Amino acid sequence: MEYDENGVSIVPSEFKKEIFEEARKDFRYEEYVRGCLNCGVCTGGCPPHRFFDFSPRIVLQNMKSKDPELIWTMMDEYIWACFQCFTCAMICPFLNSPGGIIAVLREIAVRRGFESAKKVLKPYSRVLLKLTAYGNQLSPDMIQPDFFPDWGPHIGYASTDLAVKRKAIPMPTLQVTNLAWDVAPETMKELYDIFDEAGVFKIIESVDPSLYEIIQDIVDDVRSS
Amino acid sequence: MAENILVIGGGPAGLNAAVMLSELGVNVALVERDSFLGGNPKKFKYKFLFPDMQPADNVIGELIKKAEAGGSIKVYYSSEVSDFKENGKKFDVTLKSADGSETKTFDSVIVATGFEHFDPARDAKYSYQLFDDVIDIKDLERMMGENNFVRPSNGKPPKKVAFILCVGSRDRHVGNQYCSRVCCTVSVKQAIEMREHFPDCEAYIFYMDIRTYGFFEDLYWQAMEEHDVQIVKGRIAEITSGPDNTVICKGEDTLLRGPFEIPFDMVVLASGMEGGPQSPEMSSKLGIELDEHGFLKPENITLSPFKSSKAGIFLAGACTGPKAISDSITEGAAAAMNAYTYAVKNR
Ligand code: SF4
Ligand code: SF4
Ligand code: SF4
Repeated sequence: MEYDENGVSIVPSEFKKEIFEEARKDFRYEEYVRGCLNCGVCTGGCPPHRFFDFSPRIVLQNMKSKDPELIWTMMDEYIWACFQCFTCAMICPFLNSPGGIIAVLREIAVRRGFESAKKVLKPYSRVLLKLTAYGNQLSPDMIQPDFFPDWGPHIGYASTDLAVKRKAIPMPTLQVTNLAWDVAPETMKELYDIFDEAGVFKIIESVDPSLYEIIQDIVDDVRSS
Repeated sequence: MAENILVIGGGPAGLNAAVMLSELGVNVALVERDSFLGGNPKKFKYKFLFPDMQPADNVIGELIKKAEAGGSIKVYYSSEVSDFKENGKKFDVTLKSADGSETKTFDSVIVATGFEHFDPARDAKYSYQLFDDVIDIKDLERMMGENNFVRPSNGKPPKKVAFILCVGSRDRHVGNQYCSRVCCTVSVKQAIEMREHFPDCEAYIFYMDIRTYGFFEDLYWQAMEEHDVQIVKGRIAEITSGPDNTVICKGEDTLLRGPFEIPFDMVVLASGMEGGPQSPEMSSKLGIELDEHGFLKPENITLSPFKSSKAGIFLAGACTGPKAISDSITEGAAAAMNAYTYAVKNR
């Protein structure tokens, strides 16, 4: 990587063009990016617009500009400010989907292991682990004060004596705390095949190599059982 | 023997067509679905007409007077075309009203069935019918016409009013991709009118672009320069209710302020024009073509905009697309000429 006199990395314009072309060639592009007269409806209805310097109108206009430089400037932080609520797509009078094209750009960032993607996905590593290794999104043992401060003052109490509390639930809960529900080994193997085929493991490898190793150990165990 | 021509619709276009034909000595049957003549301008009590703010009654009232003066025009009030058959180059038509039916043969037909105002309740983001103080241009026109310009919620005069353009037009979500042509001009006209009569009341106009085409352009200069109307670039994304009985317009000022949430006493939606249920009804009854926007389709939009897809049936006014009253009146005359020529040729 090259750096300028301020220590900022210089990204070759060829590379920016490649990213731009990748977005334009996406099969969803034509559907998401249509005419746009800068009416501002999307931005007016966009929740994060109230809190950040972020505007779906700008995203759409940048896409329409055909200027790889403008797309590149959004890849770092801009596209991650979106909640993916798709209010913009619901109200744009031209039927554009700024949220949709943002998803396309994010996928590029993730696929290519951009720093911004790594940073954003880091807090989700526990979820990624549970999801890809066990097909569960959340499990009781993930409830810990450090991770869910927004759950209020009782989170400390809620995170103790999990096994006992699980038993108190009057329905089958596996009596375990590391999973929310039982997933049969056959199902897990099928899931792994899907993740393999869809390139999910590869993506995890590029954004979080150490997490990838942990997941692969589990996958290998299950597959050889 | 004089020609017999049927005119369907008693709005500005149909009225002018009927009046012109009667001056040529033609026997005109003018069929009107309402119990009165004048069409939407009369129904919704339009008060002043742009661009010169002359009272609507000077124009519409004048035409109605001429049509009702008797002569060779027979008006069928609260009536409809119940049956329509081609008979060689002529048409056998049954006209139905509460008093019964009458079948007559006509040499040619003019369709001038007009438009319907878009119902803003169909686009949920504007909260029309949810909040009393959200009204639309036809509601305001009526209020002004009845000298009763007050907030529907509390009967008090408003201090701050927003005009929102392009409601139900230029919007693929509601299915109307076209521009309704006159609502910019009507809204700017209304804002000026309001500022003139109620100088204490502030006026804002929110736009994607202002289409006061041709000479109507003068209006928004006037609005800004003489009447201090605020014109803000940004279409409204949402209307919610606010404290102190206000309605909040939420959107993005794409040039200056960025995101805004501004409370108003009243919001006026510039609801556009639609072909209404009458256009497909005419299309199927008379066997003429409908266009992709729900209006009646001229044979050739440029060369013969007054001809329908069927020989002997002519079109005039807003049934072929959104237009100003002056254009409808012009088209009424043009369609009359076309219908007369056809009738004379096939005598
Ligand atoms: S999907 Fe993203 S850009 Fe669109 S409204 Fe929601 S947060 Fe804003
Ligand atoms: S709502 Fe649609 S047309 Fe309006 S600025 Fe946003 S993307 Fe463009
Ligand atoms: S005339 Fe103006 S308000 Fe009406 S649809 Fe066209 S641009 Fe919108």
